[in-house]
Amino acid sequence: MMEGRTAPTVAASALRVFDLSLGQMLWSRRSVFLAILLGAPVLMAVAIRVLGARLGPIEVNGRAVNGAAVFGLMIWLLYIRFIVPVLGVFYGTSLIADEIDDKTITYLFTRPIRRSAVLLGKYLAYLASTVLLVLPSVMLVFFLVVPTGEGSLGAAFPSLLADFGMLTAGLIAYGAVFAFVGARLKRPLVAGLVFAFGWEPAALLLPGYLKRLTVAYYLQALVAHERPQDSPIGMLLQVFREVPPVGTSLISLALIVGLALWAASRAVEGREYVLEQ
Amino acid sequence: MSAPVIAAEGLSKWYGQIIGLNDVTFEVPPGITGLLGPNGAGKSTFMKLATGQLQPSKGRIAVLGQTIWGNPSLYFRIGFCPEQDAFYERMTGLEWVAALVRLNGADETSAAGAARRALGLVDLLDAADRRIGAYSKGMRQRVKMAQAIAHDPELLILDEPLAGMDPLARRKTIRMIKEWGREGRSVLVSSHVLHEIESMTPNILLINQGRILAEGNVHQIRDLIDEHPHKVYVKADRTRALARELLAQEDVLSLAFEGEAVVVQTSKPDAFYARLTELAASGVHGAIHEVTSPDDNLQAVFEYLVK
Amino acid sequence: MSPIHNQGYRRYVGERAASGRAWMVIASSGLRSLFGRRVFLGLLLVSWFPFFVRAVQIYAAANVPQASFLAPTPAMFRQFLGQQDVFVFFVAVYAGAGLIANDRRANALPIYLSKPLTRAEYVLGKLVILAALLLGITWLPAIVLLAVQIAFAGNLTFFRENLFLWPAITLFSLVEVLVVSASMLALSSLSNSSRFVGILYAGLLFFTSAVYGVIFATTRNTRFSVLSFQANLERLGDAIFRQPSKYASPWPLSLLILVALVAASTWVLERRIRGVEVVA
Repeated sequence: MMEGRTAPTVAASALRVFDLSLGQMLWSRRSVFLAILLGAPVLMAVAIRVLGARLGPIEVNGRAVNGAAVFGLMIWLLYIRFIVPVLGVFYGTSLIADEIDDKTITYLFTRPIRRSAVLLGKYLAYLASTVLLVLPSVMLVFFLVVPTGEGSLGAAFPSLLADFGMLTAGLIAYGAVFAFVGARLKRPLVAGLVFAFGWEPAALLLPGYLKRLTVAYYLQALVAHERPQDSPIGMLLQVFREVPPVGTSLISLALIVGLALWAASRAVEGREYVLEQ
Repeated sequence: MSAPVIAAEGLSKWYGQIIGLNDVTFEVPPGITGLLGPNGAGKSTFMKLATGQLQPSKGRIAVLGQTIWGNPSLYFRIGFCPEQDAFYERMTGLEWVAALVRLNGADETSAAGAARRALGLVDLLDAADRRIGAYSKGMRQRVKMAQAIAHDPELLILDEPLAGMDPLARRKTIRMIKEWGREGRSVLVSSHVLHEIESMTPNILLINQGRILAEGNVHQIRDLIDEHPHKVYVKADRTRALARELLAQEDVLSLAFEGEAVVVQTSKPDAFYARLTELAASGVHGAIHEVTSPDDNLQAVFEYLVK
Repeated sequence: MSPIHNQGYRRYVGERAASGRAWMVIASSGLRSLFGRRVFLGLLLVSWFPFFVRAVQIYAAANVPQASFLAPTPAMFRQFLGQQDVFVFFVAVYAGAGLIANDRRANALPIYLSKPLTRAEYVLGKLVILAALLLGITWLPAIVLLAVQIAFAGNLTFFRENLFLWPAITLFSLVEVLVVSASMLALSSLSNSSRFVGILYAGLLFFTSAVYGVIFATTRNTRFSVLSFQANLERLGDAIFRQPSKYASPWPLSLLILVALVAASTWVLERRIRGVEVVA
C-alpha cells in the first residue's frame, strides 16, 4: 500500500483543487459567455474611439466630454453595476453546484481532504479566472477610451490602478458571498440574482443602516470616478450619497469575505449532496 | 474472525419521506463481498453512507473501524468507484487520475507514477493521453476504476463497476477484482446482475426495499432456504407417467408441463432428488434425460428472497 | 383464464389523445411540477403583492375623499405592469431556465420526440408553461385590478371612459409574455445547465440596459434605447397604453426589434429541438 500518508493541510489541498479546477473553469463553454461579457465593453470602447476620431469629441448639452469621464461611466455602469455582480453570482453559486450537476463532486469528496478545501480551491480558481479576464478588459477599455476628447492617459493612469484594486475587491467579495449562497441553497441562482439585482439596488436607496448589509455600499466607496446621473434615482443617490471612508470599506469588505467563506465552508462540511439519478 | 471492514448498526437513511435504508444491522467481512439488489433497493444509498457522502439519519456505520462522516483521513484507505458516468471530459485519463491522486497528498511525480500504474492495471495505458471525452463507455468505466485503485487503498467500494462494459472488459474486470481480493484487499462490489457477482465471490449481501434480506455465503443462504419450495425441471422419455408418480409424493406441491418436460415444485428438495435418482436407476419411466433446477443459482436465491 | 398473470409488456389499451394535443401533457405536467415547489409558490405570492397595494389604493380613492388624488388612471395600470417586470424576470428565470435545459441534461429530448409528439408540440407545451405563469402575474392581476376598480367605484364610469384599457392590458401582457417566454426558451435550448441559462437571460436583460445606460449617460440621447431589451418593451408598452414615453425612439422600431427577437428565438428552437443531434 502507498506510503507516506499524511493529510495535506487545508491550504495545500485548496491549492491542488485550484490546479484541478482552473482549467475546467477557463476552458468551458461558459467562457464564451465570459468572453461576450468582457468583450462587449471593449467593442464599445473601439466604437467610441472610432467615432471620436471621425466626429470629434463627444458632447453632452453642448459641452465636450473628456475620455476619462466616459471611462468612469463605463466602470460604473458596466463593470461595477453589472459585470462584477454577474460574475460573482454566476461563478460563486456554481462553485459546488457545478460539480453536483456534473456529478463529479463524488471524486473530490471521497479524497482525504476537507470539503472546505475543495470550496476554497474552487473559489481561488474563480478569482484567478475572473480577475485575469476582467482586468485586461478594463485595461483595453482604458487605453481605447481615455485618449478620446483630449483625455490624458498619463493623468488618468493612477485611477486605472485604483480601478484594478476596486474591481478585484468586488470580485473577491461578491464571489465569497455567492459561494456561501451556492453552498447553502439547492437553487442558488435566483437567490443570487435577487440579492445582486433586487436587494442591493433597493437597499442602497433606503435610509438608515440597511445599505450596510450590501456589498455595493462598501465597494462603491472605493470607486474613484464620479457617480453617473443616468436616471432620477442616480441623481438622488448623488445628492444623498453617504460614502464610508476607504479604510472602513476595505475592513468591511474583508469582514464580509471572511464571514461568507467561513459560513460557506461550514455549509459544505455539514451538508449532504444527493446527486440526481 | 477478523474485524469487519464495514459494520452497520441500526442504520437508516431517509430522504424526506422516502426511505433509502431501513434500520439495517450487518457486517461486511474482509475479502470480496457482493452487494446485490434490484434497482432502487438501497445499494447506492448504502455505498454513499459507506463512503461518507451521506450521513446516517439514524444508527451508525463504521468503516475500517472508524466513523466515516466528516473523517477525510479515512479516504487514504478507501477507493471508491461511483456509479455515475461523470468525468472532467476535457482532461486526459492520465491527467485526471494523477490530479485525483495529488489530492491524496502525493507530489506531482509520484502522482503521475501512481496514475500510470493504475491505468496499466485497467489496460488503459495506451489511451492514457487521450481526452476522457473521447473514451468509449467501457474505457470510461475502467478509468473510473483506475482512480479508485491509484492510491493503493485497503478497501475498494465499487458501485456497479461492470455496467456498460463489453463482455471482454467485463471478464477482465472480474478477474482484476478477484486478484485484488487475493492480494488482501477488501472489495465491496454492487450489482443488480447476479451472475456477475456470482463469478466474483460467494460472499453476498442481499438488499431490497432498504432492508438487508440475507448476508453470508451464497451456499449457506441457499441451504437455509432449502426448506422452501424449490423448482426442478425434469425431462424423461415418459414424462407424463413420471409426473403421475411424482404427484403421489407428499413433498410435491405442484406440477406443470413445459413442452416435453415437467416442472415440479417440491418442499423437500433433498428427498426429491434421492427419489428421482432411484426412479432413474429403475428405468420404470424410461430414461431421464435432464434434471435441472433454476433455483440452484444465485438468481433463484435472489428472486426467492426479493419476492 | 390462466391463474398466472402475464408480467410481460402490455400494449396501451386506453384512449389516445387526439393528434395535436400532446402539448397539453407537457404543459400540465410542467405546471404541476412547478406548483409542487413551495419556494415557487412563495415567489408567485410575492409577485401579487403590488396588486394588493394597488387594490388598497383604489379602495382608498373610491371611499376616502381625502385620498381622491390616488384615483386610478390609465397611467397607473401602465405603471403597475411596469412594476411587475421585476417579478416577470424572477419567475422567468426560476421557471423558464430549466424548461428545455433540464430535458437536455437528462437526455430526455430523444425520448419525448420518439413519442407521438412533434417538435412544435413539445415547444408549445414548454412555452405554455412559462406563458401561463407570466400571464398569471401580469395580465391576470391587471385585469382583476380593473374589476376591483369597478367593484369599489360601484359604477362603470372609469371603465367606459377608458375602454381601451382592457385590450391594452391584454395586448401588452401578451407581447411581453411572448417575447420573454420565447427568448427564455431559446436560451434554455442552448445549454444543459439551467443556471447558465438563467445567467444568460440576466445578461441579455441587464447588459443591454447597461450598454444603453453608458450611451445615454454619454450622449443624453434616448434614441439609443432600442439597444436595450427592457427599454424596447417599455417603449412599446407606453405606445399601447397611449402614455408619453421617456424614450425618444420610435415605437415601431421597438416592435420590429422585439419581433426579430421572437423570430430569432424560433429559429434557435427549430435548430436545437431535435430528437437526434445532427453532426454534419
